[in-house]
Amino acid sequence: MNAPAHPTELSRRWSSLSGIDINWKLVIPALILAEVINRTTGASTTTLLTEIIIFALFASSLNLLMSFGHMVSFGHSAYFGLGAYGFTLAVTKAGLPLEAAVLLGPLVAALGGLLFGALCVRLTEIYFAMLTLACAQITYTVLFQWYDFTGGDTGITGFMAPRFGLSGQNFASLTLAVVTLSLFALWWIVRSPLGLSIRAAGQDRFRAEALGLTVRRVQLTAFVIAAFFAGIAGMLYAVLHGSAFPDYAGLGLTLDSLIMVVLGGLNSFAGGIWGAIIYKLLGAFVPSLVHEWELVLGLILLVIVLTAPKGFAGLIARLGLDRKGGR
Amino acid sequence: MDPILSARNIRKRYGAFLALKDVTFDLPRGERHALIGPNGAGKSTFIACVAGQLPGVEGKMIFRGEDITALTPASLAKKGIGRTFQISRAFLQMTVMENIMAAVVIASGRWTSLSRGLYRDNLEKAFGLLETVKLDDRAAARVADLSLGDRKRLEFGMALAGDPELLLLDEPTAGMSIKERHYLMEMVATRMEETGKTLLFVEHDIDVVMKIAQRVTVMARGAVLVVGTPAEIAANEEVQAIYLGGHH
Repeated sequence: MNAPAHPTELSRRWSSLSGIDINWKLVIPALILAEVINRTTGASTTTLLTEIIIFALFASSLNLLMSFGHMVSFGHSAYFGLGAYGFTLAVTKAGLPLEAAVLLGPLVAALGGLLFGALCVRLTEIYFAMLTLACAQITYTVLFQWYDFTGGDTGITGFMAPRFGLSGQNFASLTLAVVTLSLFALWWIVRSPLGLSIRAAGQDRFRAEALGLTVRRVQLTAFVIAAFFAGIAGMLYAVLHGSAFPDYAGLGLTLDSLIMVVLGGLNSFAGGIWGAIIYKLLGAFVPSLVHEWELVLGLILLVIVLTAPKGFAGLIARLGLDRKGGR
Repeated sequence: MDPILSARNIRKRYGAFLALKDVTFDLPRGERHALIGPNGAGKSTFIACVAGQLPGVEGKMIFRGEDITALTPASLAKKGIGRTFQISRAFLQMTVMENIMAAVVIASGRWTSLSRGLYRDNLEKAFGLLETVKLDDRAAARVADLSLGDRKRLEFGMALAGDPELLLLDEPTAGMSIKERHYLMEMVATRMEETGKTLLFVEHDIDVVMKIAQRVTVMARGAVLVVGTPAEIAANEEVQAIYLGGHH
């Protein structure tokens, strides 16, 4: 045993022995770049940028489940939708001021995550995935059918000035700030003892249980956290467009988020962020070049899964741009 | 002395097959006890019963005076039963240090903590465990890149994180070289000796059993055949006929 080391020396030793670190040399220029793009380009680019930022958070919340909890959810859009509707209905039905409603949206999503999650974590693997799908479809159906309350398939529009009446550029900056803080919170969770327990439960539940961990409780905690952050993303999306539609909780968005995580890179914190950037950029530019853009996307996915199963983040790590290796 | 573990008429059925037939077994505190017997004798099933891994176990399992028969693996771990698995189980995508730290964090019961100060507070303990199992120089290695022997030692280190009163090792040396087997089991025996904790292990290597165990239980076809010191077991004709004389 070495002589007792200084606390900072100990934390330094711990960081060098655990795998996840923020590469500030990459993060700070990226944030500055986003803001520069926001301020120097036109309105359509600003809207695209805002959506990319929102989806970076949405995909990262799913990534917490997939890369760290090893829980593949086929219904993550439910919590995006609940965040959007929680916010929207708080304004339209409960008459809450916007400041309170923006908090309520993510909380509704977290509550939904608690309710559905408690059911889903009773199962594992594909059965877990199918149950998350069922829960999301229930959410979608309720939003779609309950005309009196949710407006059904016509959604809810015109209840507020989009973006709180902010200019597109200012709202993009606000979104960037909220999402950056949220991602930082997610990263903090992943690095914390809670995050270590989520990863432990995901990687070997029997080992974790034998050590004294109640795996279902850990998984439920992860599920609620993921739902909460998906809810923030959904709420931001509803504010951006000043509307909410059942499709926010639909299969399409679930699929989008899954593709983003795989594109961006499984088992990497940055995977969700990279995925959102790449997927949204492809979706914005490829359709103007090729009519069947889904075909192009399919081919790209095929190539990624076959040649770079760790996605874009894995590629970055291989190029040595991420010093800690693709975690 | 009071036994730390008492099994009373433990019976486990898989459909029509009776894997354990009224096993009654007492394990004195502080003993290193080996469970041996031919394949299908019910050794691993018995370990799984003690560790709470199996549903539908009949009979009664008493640990430190408390009925633990229907408890889950997680609550048994909290009560002081640690274990390793026949096929090594660890968190493969994490580093060795993260594995040990996860074990320490879980054992501390503070898995919901968001404070990385918890790591700092436990780093000395974690390093101590790594030194105990001679893996301190591999702390930053990913478990997926470890050799089988290193993984088994890591698992032993993780099982020690909660200072278990009773340690269950299910074929800890399976698949290891003779040298590695003795290295691991001497390490285990030393640790048990130092801490006064109780060890129950399933082992096929008779040399290891003779060297490490203070007493041995021989099982056959789901029942306890005989209990005794290694010397008594070696001299027992029935045991020789059913087990030692067979394929070993």
